[in-house]
This record gives sequence, C-alpha cells and structure tokens, in this order.
Amino acid sequence: MSALLKGLSSVLATNLIKFESLFISNRTLQFSVKSVSAPKNYFRLGQPAFSFHSSVSRRGLEEFFDDKKNWGELEVKVGRSWRVDELRIKSNEDLHKLWYVLLKEKNMLLTMEHASQEECRLFPNPERIDKVEESMNNLERVVRERNRAYFLLETGETGERPCSRVTDPLGRSYTMQYTEHFVPIYMNRRASKKHVHRGAAVVRFRRQMKEKAFLEKKRYYNRVRNHVCQLLRRFPELDEEAIQQQYPEVNLTRLRRMKYSRGHHLYNEG
Amino acid sequence: MPRITSLLKCVADMTKKSSNLPESYIKRAMERTGWKTPSAVQYRKVQLKKKKYKFSVHRPWTQEFRDENWPGTQSPKVFVEPLLDWTFFKGDRVELLTGPDKGKQGIVNYVVQERNWVIVEGLNCTYKMLGEEFNYPGMMIKDEQPLLVTTQVTLVDPSDNKPTKAEWRYTEEGEHVRVSVRTGRIIPIPKQAEETPDYKTKSTYREQEKDTKESELTRITFQPKLKTFEMDIAEKMGIKEDRIPRKTFWYPVQHQDYEYEY
Repeated sequence: MSALLKGLSSVLATNLIKFESLFISNRTLQFSVKSVSAPKNYFRLGQPAFSFHSSVSRRGLEEFFDDKKNWGELEVKVGRSWRVDELRIKSNEDLHKLWYVLLKEKNMLLTMEHASQEECRLFPNPERIDKVEESMNNLERVVRERNRAYFLLETGETGERPCSRVTDPLGRSYTMQYTEHFVPIYMNRRASKKHVHRGAAVVRFRRQMKEKAFLEKKRYYNRVRNHVCQLLRRFPELDEEAIQQQYPEVNLTRLRRMKYSRGHHLYNEG
Repeated sequence: MPRITSLLKCVADMTKKSSNLPESYIKRAMERTGWKTPSAVQYRKVQLKKKKYKFSVHRPWTQEFRDENWPGTQSPKVFVEPLLDWTFFKGDRVELLTGPDKGKQGIVNYVVQERNWVIVEGLNCTYKMLGEEFNYPGMMIKDEQPLLVTTQVTLVDPSDNKPTKAEWRYTEEGEHVRVSVRTGRIIPIPKQAEETPDYKTKSTYREQEKDTKESELTRITFQPKLKTFEMDIAEKMGIKEDRIPRKTFWYPVQHQDYEYEY
C-alpha cells in the first residue's frame, strides 16, 4: 500500500495515517472487551471509531482461530480466489471491507498453521493461504488501477512511487525506487554525489562479470543444443514445429546434420 | 528439457488445471531446499535448491513426489518428446497399440502430461503378491502402468470405434475442436476432463460455507467517480482533513550504507 501513497495530496496522506490508527484502536477495543479493570473511555476513541466495525462477530482473540468444528479435520473445502474481473465491478467501499475480511482470514490461517505445527497436527488445505494472498494481490491491483486512472487524468502522472535505472560504483545497473526527502536533490550532498566508475579494480571486476554472464549464456545454449540433439536421436520423426516452439534458439537443419543427433536405427539407414 | 529457471513451467498445464490449486501453492509445495543460510544480517542470502525434478505418476504437491525428489539426490535424465498440442484427456476412449493388451480399448483415467503418459483403466497392468508368509499365500495387487501417448496408445474415433490420430482445428463458428484426422469427425472432450478434487463439473460445484454467494459476487456496485480510493473511503467514513503538507522531493539515494564517507 505504501507504494500507492506517494503522490497523494495532503488530505489523503494524513487520512491514511488516521485510518491505520483507527483500525488499530478498533482492534484493541475488540480484544479488550472482557477486561473489567480498564477504566471508562480508556482508549479515548472518537465517534467514528466506535461506529465503524470491520467485522460482524466480535469474539476477541478467538477470531485468530478457525471454527471449532474445523479443528482436527482432514479437509476444509473452500472455493477459488477472487479474480481481477470480479473485483473491478465492486465499489471502493466493498473493496475496503473485503480487504479486511481477507486480512483476517489470512491471519486466522497463519495462526492455525502455526498452532497445528505446535501440536504436531495436520493443517488441512494449506493452499487456502495462497488463495487468500492471490485475492489480496488482485484487490491491490484493482485499487492501484483506479488510483492511477485518477492521477493520470488530474495530474498527468501515475501518482505511483517513481523508480529509475541506476548504476552502482561497480558499474552494475539495477532498478532503484525513489525515496521522499524534505530538501531538493541539489541540497542533498549524499544524493547529488556522482559516482564515477573507474579504477583498475572496477574495470577488472566489470570485465569478469561480463565474462561470467557470457559463459553462462554459452553453457546454457550448449545444454539446449545437446538436449535437442539427443531428442532427434531418440525420436527421429518428431514434430519439428513442436521442438522449434519449445526451443526457438536452435537451428534444427544444422543439428540434423550433426553426427551426434543420428541414432542407430532404420531412419538413418542409407 | 523444460527451462530450469522457472519451476512452474516444468509442471504441465493439464496437471495444474486438474488440481484446481493456485500456482503459488504448487510451487511452494514442490520446492525442495537442501540448505539455506540463516536469516540474519551477517549472512548472504544463499539457497541450495533442487533444480531438476523427477516427474512420475505422483502429482508435484504430494508427499510421494517429495519422497522421490529428496534434495541432493539425482534421477536418470528422461527425454520426453515435445508435442505441439495435447489431445488426450481424462475420460477418453483409447486403443492400446503395444503390450499384452494390444488392440483392447479402455478409458483414460489419469493423465501425466509432463511425461506424455496416460493411464488406462484396467489395462496394461502389473501384478504383484503382497504380504506373503509361510502359511499365507499373500494378496495379488493389480497396478495399472502408464502408457506413452506418442507410440503406445491412440484415440478412438467415436463414429466407427476405430483407432485414429487427432488434431485441433477450428469450426466455421470459430470453435476450437478436437478432430479425428482419418474421418474428420469431431471427438468431443469428455465431461470427466473437467473434474477436479473440488467438483465433478463446474456447474455442479456446491457452495461451501466460506464462499461468497454468486448473487453477491456478480452484483455490480462500482460507480465511476473522480476520486482516488483513499478519498472515497475517507468521505464515506466522514474523515475531513484540511492540513497542507510540506512540499517533498522524490529522488534516488544510492549507497546508503556508505555513510561513514562523510
């Protein structure tokens, strides 16, 4: 979510901080319902926090665990994850609610997994965790799409955290995400310092890196070529289109001529 | 040889589809890490993972697959003939071309696309005695063996019940169908091909307790607004914010750990 926050106007950025604290306090409220010793108005919550509940049932810490009827089961059946198309037709409010439903489910599953490990029991259907995570990723993608559309329309920028290709002192290039600063770049001594990639050691290092990459590529190609030769040897009448689709880098007509790819069978007689 | 770089590409589409499992789970379940550095600051992140996996009749997320693929073990290399299109599905009627059951027809009940294998119900079996003792003759176990789709088995044309080769073609309506090469008749994909551990057919799937109801799922609640997600939610929850933040600047700062230089 933090990536989404960049570029938000002041209103939103602070609102989100407020949101988070709100959820935390809401949760604290839930889990401390049973404690009698807490004085009245201990948590000092405003009206909106009281009125908002992300969940219907409030069972305290029990919410971290699954239903008791699922304990010790060998199989707990659930459906598939939410798809992007299904999430796109939902309003922001629905997505917001769904996010917390999913988050709570994920917390519950991870707790159950840990608990069953502690007890040396089987955790039924561990793929449920992946399903929830997939749903959450899809949901985040949809929210991002909407925010991108808004910012592109209003400001002409995506509103996402910018990144660019940079090179480190050893001359290796990689993608780096930008960070937020109070001063512009020319006032920031550390950020504005130029790293010049020179020196015998750096030159040697870069040459060896290049050589390593080259050798890896060459070895990879040789491996593929040998494999295709062996395939031609074993299956002389195989579908050339199929093999070309799977290994587009090999030259089949050339490999056919190699002695390595000719087997001892009738196909090669005469 | 599947590309080693992507583990999930080694697992065939048919396997993924018949399992109805998320891909990330398949990857997580089949991965075997032999050794990795402890997660602490002083260690470089290094993992010794098994790269070449042996695929047999066991599915990649099962314990049997794990047992066959212990990290540090190697199995002999298998050459699998690359095929352009896969034409064999669960529930298909096929004829055996080799072996003691040559000429017999049966129904495919298991497909292993990673090895170009199908298993035909009740055909091409091995028999072995189990639990033999001096006063007990033991029990005979019948086990179906896999068959290669390229040479040992062919599809059967539904019009004349004779073996034929099949390929994928388009009908005039633009439908992608499996067609018998010899007669040109369409060989329909059996209903059983759709079967997964969760349901027999998609239409007969019974909604579970935690599933979202279909009416709820298909209801359109989205209305386009000129607001970001956060603005919309803030408005819904009655949160107002008028503070103006300080101007900030976004740029990359490299080599944060070289601070001692300054």
